Amino acid sequence: MNKMNDLVIPFEHRMFAHCESGTVTGLLNHGGLPLTEPMVFGISSGILFLYFKTPALPFPTFVVRNFPGQMIRGVSRRLGVKFSTAKYRDQKKGEDAIDALLDKGIPVACRTDFYYMDYLPAYMRAHFNFHYLTIVGRKGSKFLVSDCYSTELAELERESLRKGRYPGGSFDPRGFLFYPVRVPQNPDIDAAIRKGIKAACFNMLRLPVKQVGVKGIRLFSKKIMEWPGMARNEDHLSHEIMKINILLEDQGTGGAGYRFMYATFLRQASEKLNAPALREMSERMMLVGDDWRRISIYAARMGKNHDFGETKFRELSEKIARQADAEEKFFTDLARIAKTL
Amino acid sequence: MEVKVTRELKEEIKVLILESLNIPDVGPEDIADDASLFEDENLGLDSIDGLEIVMALQEKYGVRIDDQNQARFILKSIDTIAEFIAKELSKK
Repeated sequence: MNKMNDLVIPFEHRMFAHCESGTVTGLLNHGGLPLTEPMVFGISSGILFLYFKTPALPFPTFVVRNFPGQMIRGVSRRLGVKFSTAKYRDQKKGEDAIDALLDKGIPVACRTDFYYMDYLPAYMRAHFNFHYLTIVGRKGSKFLVSDCYSTELAELERESLRKGRYPGGSFDPRGFLFYPVRVPQNPDIDAAIRKGIKAACFNMLRLPVKQVGVKGIRLFSKKIMEWPGMARNEDHLSHEIMKINILLEDQGTGGAGYRFMYATFLRQASEKLNAPALREMSERMMLVGDDWRRISIYAARMGKNHDFGETKFRELSEKIARQADAEEKFFTDLARIAKTL
Repeated sequence: MEVKVTRELKEEIKVLILESLNIPDVGPEDIADDASLFEDENLGLDSIDGLEIVMALQEKYGVRIDDQNQARFILKSIDTIAEFIAKELSKK
């Protein structure tokens, strides 16, 4: 039985589009730095595309943002925020660390398996070891959790958080937690925006790896033609094809594979830097996002209806290839503008 | 210019949903304004249908629903969709 005193840190709970950018934004706001979520996403060059296959996963897949943890590192490097991070092999020590921080009035973010966050409806939850949330208090045997997908501050049994922090399997969080120990009150946000944009352009256009950025989108458009031959059967193919929709729309992407969030970042950056050209780029990125959303619907319908004729795959492949062209042109133009900012 | 939620707007949204999802056996009169669109006893839509509605609303009214968190609340019922459309059109 827990004998800890109840406490609630005055942390403003808000919903965000994505758990990592939202959690970092909430912590920075709490520390006195009023950045928006799209700003955090853009400054940390969150936008990306990566098509890959790994022994840990049974089928090729793709991601549409930078790797988990890079948003935390991105804002640290570009804004001078200092985070303290830790992992605990011992579950009790991992939980004691949270209580000790709460006693000091410090909200603490954790990486968890999303499945155990049982304050959210069951249909939303799946095993996913990269879900971020912030613990802001405790009440009886429960922790008070600010989770950007929850409409209000949630209560979570200690046991559920323990399972979520130590779920085992690939990419086990192993009790990972982090919290800011220094939040600069007047960082050079303009410089951080410029660096974030330049890095995003570099990642999308110039990383010399065929799986990443625009090259990764082209690889995806080519490789998807091989998917029917790789799937075990029609149901498996349907599952994998429908995952395109999930990865683009259902994983806290802010819509259209983070493209809408990046467009919002560019609009806000345009206002901050007084750069009308970025406003135009924001509108263009929204249109790129609309086309990703159309691909998402197209793939979902294919999967749902088991509509797997070669023509359908060919058309899907061509749609993705057009996205590669559109993003190549977009980031080439953005890189040119970035030099003038 | 302020756009109000009217019966006509709700009717228009119902027709748009039925046409974009190609549901010929249900009429606008069969959908209650406050019924949850995703429950089986009503239209029983799924998340892909939701995304189709998002695109249809965007194409007809020029309003964009960015992310699923937002969509969860907006697409709850005809009432909530109409309120969102009226609010967004009022900003234009």
